[in-house]
Amino acid sequence: MKLNDIAGKIGASLLQPGKAAEVEIKRVFAGDKMSDLLSEASDTTLLVTNLVNTQLFRIAQIMDVPGICLLNNAAPKPELVNQAAKHGTAIMVSTVGMFETCGHLYQCLYGKAGSES
Amino acid sequence: MITESYRITGGNFEQAGSASSSLKERLKKLGVEPQDMRRVMIVAYEAEMNVVIHARKGSMWVTLNDGQINIEVKDEGPGIIDIDKAMTVGYSTAPAAARELGFGAGMGLPYIKRNSDLFKIESTVRRGTRIKSTVYLKLQDLPGPARNSLHVDGELCCECLHCLRACPTKAIRVREGKPQILEHLCIDCAACIAVCESGALSVECPDDFIRPSEDTVLIVPASFLVQFGVGISPGRVLKALNELGFKNVRIMEDWANAVHEAVIRFAEEETKVKPVLSPLCPAVVNLIELRFPSLIENLAPFLFPVQAAQNEFKGQDAVFIASCPGRHTALMPHALPAGGLSSNVKVMSPSGLFKAVLKLTAANGDQSDDPDRLARQTGWKHRQTGWKHRNPETILQASGAVHVANLLEKAENGILDDLHVLELFMCAQGCFGSPLMPEDPFVARHRWLNSGLKHNECAKAVRRKRPYQAREGFRLDADMSRAIMKLSRIDELMRRLPGKDCALCGAPTCGSLAEDIAIGRAKETACVYPGINEDKDKGK
Repeated sequence: MKLNDIAGKIGASLLQPGKAAEVEIKRVFAGDKMSDLLSEASDTTLLVTNLVNTQLFRIAQIMDVPGICLLNNAAPKPELVNQAAKHGTAIMVSTVGMFETCGHLYQCLYGKAGSES
Repeated sequence: MITESYRITGGNFEQAGSASSSLKERLKKLGVEPQDMRRVMIVAYEAEMNVVIHARKGSMWVTLNDGQINIEVKDEGPGIIDIDKAMTVGYSTAPAAARELGFGAGMGLPYIKRNSDLFKIESTVRRGTRIKSTVYLKLQDLPGPARNSLHVDGELCCECLHCLRACPTKAIRVREGKPQILEHLCIDCAACIAVCESGALSVECPDDFIRPSEDTVLIVPASFLVQFGVGISPGRVLKALNELGFKNVRIMEDWANAVHEAVIRFAEEETKVKPVLSPLCPAVVNLIELRFPSLIENLAPFLFPVQAAQNEFKGQDAVFIASCPGRHTALMPHALPAGGLSSNVKVMSPSGLFKAVLKLTAANGDQSDDPDRLARQTGWKHRQTGWKHRNPETILQASGAVHVANLLEKAENGILDDLHVLELFMCAQGCFGSPLMPEDPFVARHRWLNSGLKHNECAKAVRRKRPYQAREGFRLDADMSRAIMKLSRIDELMRRLPGKDCALCGAPTCGSLAEDIAIGRAKETACVYPGINEDKDKGK
């Protein structure tokens, strides 16, 4: 599913969408440990994380990550967003926390299997 | 060789990662494949962050050799007091500032190690730490899930237990009415297929005839050409293949010959080790890696002939005839050199082609079999055959599982060092003995040697870049003390089991059953002998 569509479906806003928003997302990885994010990242993976720092964008850049989903209305510094856009990473901001965001994403990518509880 | 160096400043989290991203840009320009890039970047970034988090300053040296990338990261920092501890997943000494940013999960070094093919770490307390990592770019022989190519069809199994006894590494159990392969022990020889009466065991490879396109290359084993009896000579078979649409047919033995020659040169010029073992038969190499690890240094560093052929036709449509499981596995993506399996390489089982050739030759049955005319029609030169031995007395060729094991044992004991080169094949008469080929191996080889077809000298052997690796094989337990307990359990069981090796329990020998029981893979009640299960416990 395209990043654009995902953002629309889960009610997240896309900052600086650009070309990356057209990339097909095949899997999602959520986590707050830099090492895990790095080793799970790929050019079709959407990363979901509470982290908002330079290093997060650095690993997105070196692993060709198409999109990062930030949580709880996090507001990254504009220069970070620009830097990400320059390297082809779209930033998505979800209004809710990791648990709920992941629930929405799961439904979005794998259909009915997501749980209500 | 290309060398790059980068400086890393400790404590600077804004700049951190810049060395890795410059390296990435550089490697991208050099055309490093994405999956290799991933591994290199994980190693580089984690190592760089370790310097930023823990040290005052450091540097990263990256060298790009043919087929591998070496990354060396050196720092001036506190050093690591206990390296074993530092390598443990979840152990970290990162300060709070780093943890806030998401670092310090204790995963860095384990991830570096996991993504390296070779990894070394040295550290001196209060001086600094040095990490060396090597990533092989061209995936060759990665130990992966497709380590063997045996196909088991449980439905067909008639429980004759022949495969149990035939397997040279005791890798088969027949349980629940079907053979189970213990993959860590299987060496991809075809011994079990050869004795399987029901057809439950075969090579994992489609039977369907693959329609060639205009420029498809077909690579057939020589043994295939001599399967059609007296009336249909290899020349006729080649012609039939041409008529089936394979305009470009090559013979696998060309590459076997190239490897043969290359190994002799290697033995003469490059090594003092004796005897040099030829990597001609994948099953023999697997056996050495599993059972004779001390002979690994005797293996000549060349790709298997089938891989050399694949390498030559990289990027072209090529169809290989899988004449044994070993060759099939050697063609799998994890085993291949230079960019892996190009999607246009296909593998077909011999039986698919047999039928097509038989049909055609039957239709053309009345044609005379003048070799010269056939040679003209197929574009094959009519020449003398046979391998040129420079020093025939110092090369020994041997085949058959029993003899191979014997000779390897002798080589291991150092009593074969009058020989320069040892060429071993698991099947009788080498690849002519493949159980997928119906003709008797001796007859097949004789017919081939007298066919008058000669090796194409253009075929080239290819050096292997990835070292041979000892295989772990069977282990009772990763934990030493538990392994010792299991060992005494095996001893105890061995005293009670009948020692007849009847295999009716589904394990090939009483010894294997005892092992299976000790590790929980079988129950004592599996043994069919009466009285075994009660008696001796009380007696003790």
